[in-house]
Amino acid sequence: MEKKVLKSKWNLTPEGWNLEGVPSSQDEKRYTQVGRSVPRIDGPIKVKGEAIYTGDMTLPGMVYGKIKRSTYAHAIIKKIDCCKALKLPGVLAVLTGDEAPNKWGIVPQAANETVLAVGKVRFYGEGVAAVAALDEETAEAALELIEVEYEPLPVLLDPFQSMERSQEVLIHEDSKGNIMHAGEQVYGDVDKAFAECEYVLEREFHTNYPQHGFLEPHSALASYDTQNGQLHLWASSQIPHYLHRQMSIVLEIPMNKIRVTLPTIGGGFGGKGEAAPSEFVACLLSRKVGRPVKVVYDRQEVFYTNKGRHPCHMKVKMGLDKDGYIQAVDFDNTLDKGAYSGWGIVVLFYTASMIHLPYKVPNARFRGRSVYTNKPSTGAMRGLGGVQPRWALECLMDEMAEMMGISPYELKLKNAIESGHTCINNMFVPHSEFKKCLETAVKKSGFLEKQGKLPFGKGIGMAGGYYITGTAYTLYQNYKPHTTVMIRVDTEGGVTLLCAAAEIGQGCNTVMAQMVAEELGIQYEDVHVQSGDTEIGAFDLGSFASRLTYAAGAAIKMACVEINQSLKETAAGMLGVRADQLVIKNHEIYSMYEIKKRISWEKAIEVYTSINGTLVGMGNFSPPRRKGIDIISGNRVQGANIGHSPTFGFSSQVHEVEVDVETGRIYVKKVTEAGDCGTPVNPMCVDGQVEGSIMFNIGACLYEDQKLDASGKHLNPNFHDYKTPTTMEMPEMDTNIVESYDHSAPFGVKETGEGAVQPTFPALTNAIYDAIGVRFYTLPITPEMVLKALKDKKEGEL
Amino acid sequence: MFLNHFEYFAPKTPAETLELVACLGSKAKILAGGTDLMVVMKAKAISPDYLIDINGVEEFKGIFCEQGKGAVIGTNTKLAEIQFSEAIQAKYPALAYAAGEVGSSQVRQMASLGGNSCNASPAAETPTPLVAMDAKVVLSSILGERELPLEEFILGVRVLDLAEGEMLTKFVLPEPKLKSACRYAYMGRRDAMEIDCVNMAVTIELEDDGEKVKNIKLVMGSVYPRPLVSKEVTALLVGQKLSDQLIEKAAEAAQGEAKPIDDIRASAEYRREIVKVLARRLIKEAYTDAKGV
Repeated sequence: MEKKVLKSKWNLTPEGWNLEGVPSSQDEKRYTQVGRSVPRIDGPIKVKGEAIYTGDMTLPGMVYGKIKRSTYAHAIIKKIDCCKALKLPGVLAVLTGDEAPNKWGIVPQAANETVLAVGKVRFYGEGVAAVAALDEETAEAALELIEVEYEPLPVLLDPFQSMERSQEVLIHEDSKGNIMHAGEQVYGDVDKAFAECEYVLEREFHTNYPQHGFLEPHSALASYDTQNGQLHLWASSQIPHYLHRQMSIVLEIPMNKIRVTLPTIGGGFGGKGEAAPSEFVACLLSRKVGRPVKVVYDRQEVFYTNKGRHPCHMKVKMGLDKDGYIQAVDFDNTLDKGAYSGWGIVVLFYTASMIHLPYKVPNARFRGRSVYTNKPSTGAMRGLGGVQPRWALECLMDEMAEMMGISPYELKLKNAIESGHTCINNMFVPHSEFKKCLETAVKKSGFLEKQGKLPFGKGIGMAGGYYITGTAYTLYQNYKPHTTVMIRVDTEGGVTLLCAAAEIGQGCNTVMAQMVAEELGIQYEDVHVQSGDTEIGAFDLGSFASRLTYAAGAAIKMACVEINQSLKETAAGMLGVRADQLVIKNHEIYSMYEIKKRISWEKAIEVYTSINGTLVGMGNFSPPRRKGIDIISGNRVQGANIGHSPTFGFSSQVHEVEVDVETGRIYVKKVTEAGDCGTPVNPMCVDGQVEGSIMFNIGACLYEDQKLDASGKHLNPNFHDYKTPTTMEMPEMDTNIVESYDHSAPFGVKETGEGAVQPTFPALTNAIYDAIGVRFYTLPITPEMVLKALKDKKEGEL
Repeated sequence: MFLNHFEYFAPKTPAETLELVACLGSKAKILAGGTDLMVVMKAKAISPDYLIDINGVEEFKGIFCEQGKGAVIGTNTKLAEIQFSEAIQAKYPALAYAAGEVGSSQVRQMASLGGNSCNASPAAETPTPLVAMDAKVVLSSILGERELPLEEFILGVRVLDLAEGEMLTKFVLPEPKLKSACRYAYMGRRDAMEIDCVNMAVTIELEDDGEKVKNIKLVMGSVYPRPLVSKEVTALLVGQKLSDQLIEKAAEAAQGEAKPIDDIRASAEYRREIVKVLARRLIKEAYTDAKGV
């Protein structure tokens, strides 16, 4: 029967409700701006090549800074002689580590990095000195003239070796055993639970050392005003305010004298989630020479200094009862920290928190240690702390399903958490459609019909995953809101959102415009977004932990309450109705009961501003702060606050592969994904995030690995030899957004930028097993490893 | 990452170019596409005093392909032009394919066929099929020209048989024989922007019976300092009707001849394994094609 089309001048929702007379409490899902695949507001200028990145910028009188890098991975600096460099015409200044010895680091308790090495270098390529010169060529030539005398120390490149040889050599004097931090978390009675399990399996897993591979290198342009002591820094960063604070510590100038501005950012993926030496050097040199200084890394410098994913050496043990319900998980993790702490403690305890979701785990034990080595530090990388344990756990469950003789889908579905789940460590999941993700991906891919039934060389594998939607805790040791926004409305500028959110390519400016428009009852094109500036925008934690859509959404909603209330009051007076009976939609303000009583939104603005001037709304967001405790004993557990989030996103993936059993090459043919991102504010952006996430980790699973020689020198510090997959390697993608609405979240939103990276390693690894009958426990899975494994398997069968 | 200071020349004619090459000798480098030259200069691996940019010389560009008369390809013909040339695709599909596998689309618009040989990298794509199809290079100087097989021109890693005052000006490709086929294949981690860990080309010519091998040339890249022409495969297969066992034996022979090294891209052991796989696949493919089935 054909549905009757109601022809009315009043708008209808997609469900066909008349907008009139519906109380706003029942109105939350009737979105007109949120949920639309509108074009990215930064799209056209990027496509046309008109977007301005830091490296494109020039200021009057600007000079160039460059950094001299260590040729030892571990050595005492005996002497740095800059005399010859200073005599080179065109050189304005030289900088060494002792001029800025204050330690910086994103985690205040563990900050142990200096701008340039002081007394000692701890990884190959660490900065030891910097120069400012009139042009880049002179700066480069000057670096050659700086003479550094080193006394080499033993180089420790493996965390186990590093712990073993710590009596003989310490990377940091204050870190005994070369351990940055060690922790233990025990919930319930793990040993007793294992003793009662029907199925128990333990495996060791080893992950690799990939890097983000963002296109724009770290870049910074600093201008210090010697007149008023004001510093302005333009930088390619994900965290303008953290950077702002670090700069204040290192330069010893108050925060109110520093302004950080983000020009267009060419990707971050976590790699720009800490301050970078480029930024400090630009600022210090600018203060020294009194002219603007630009520092732009080349790709080699990015590889030398950028903080990629922690290699993890994991022992994982899981126990199931006779029906396949998880009873206990025991997880031991040794993380390769590289030279400096950075995000270290956070990453360590994120890996710990990852065992509690997305399956119900009643008893759990974590023991972990993050160990210093003489390598470029590891840090935050898309899905931080989650990717490694997720790989181990999902592969282990695949193996256990086989032990039980059931499908991994059945095992995972059986144990999957649901909305309202409280983990044993007190993490609370307000909403979950994880089961729907598993069902959708499995059904759409035909997983059950294919697994175990494909010819040799072809395989299919599945995995689940989740990620946080912002953290519950800041690293500021302060209870201030994580995000504050201001919305300005007037007849001149229309609507402008002012905030310090970092648009790093993930699309937050577009999404924020959609959310502002939704709340104010206008179109997203009407909203101007001023973001990424610490002077224009108030405090924002930054773009990491997949937090922005949620946090900015909540703050925007709060800011709009004030604005809408003022406009309703103005309109109420004009229309002669009650303000609380007014609705604002589609540029109109009207009574929900007397539909003829309406005025245009612009008219109300005009009247309001003519009386009061510009209308401003402020909003902020503070996440819930549940404590990380053992919910049975009620005891505090060290590090267990980490991993909590206002809400969680979920993903499930099915990968189909073909393995060339003669060459060992693995071809990923198709990926079917289903994700729970709550309300997709911009479904097109979600698809982009998800496809990007999958390719990102196909890269790290099969291709990418940073290699060092025995002296700690990088062997592949370029995109020639550090191989990321290209579009030629991109499989067919079927990504699906499952129906989901989190009532606890603004607009019902959740993360999508990091959840979809989680299932990729295990789904692929499980697919390879299905194809050739070999399980891999080390990454990346290279053609050589495949050939060797096949050969060993053949020999074993003989 | 800065280039050394050099003097730059942009001749307009072959005569001017050869004059410059004669005057400046080994202190000069020819700039064609620059996709390899600029990289090594930025890495300070070489620091030439002079660059002779031949992009303004029309005579060094172009594909001349006539029915029955093989082909002549100018040294500065861009790889993209070779990749998309219908004449090359029809007559020398292995070359068109190999040209299309170099670097990225952007690189192929810049890079030249001559440069791909003159860079003398063991992993280069196009020298392998060119050697397999018996291509010759023409080396010119103000004194005249000489022609020699490409396999005798590339002597080792970044080593060429190029006399002072000489430059490569064109490639001469013989007309493919009747009942023959040439095929190219490579192995790498990915299918674009790749430096092959092994590449290979095979040309097979059959006797009039369309069954027995009259001639076979198997050329391996990336497993020896220069394109390696297998002697054993030729010795094993000439005069034979090919069977799976014979092909396997030939593939193992090629594997025995390869002298690969361990590097960041692959281990020697893996490369040797791949030589056998590619040899087996390519001999089969070329044989089938030559038979016209």
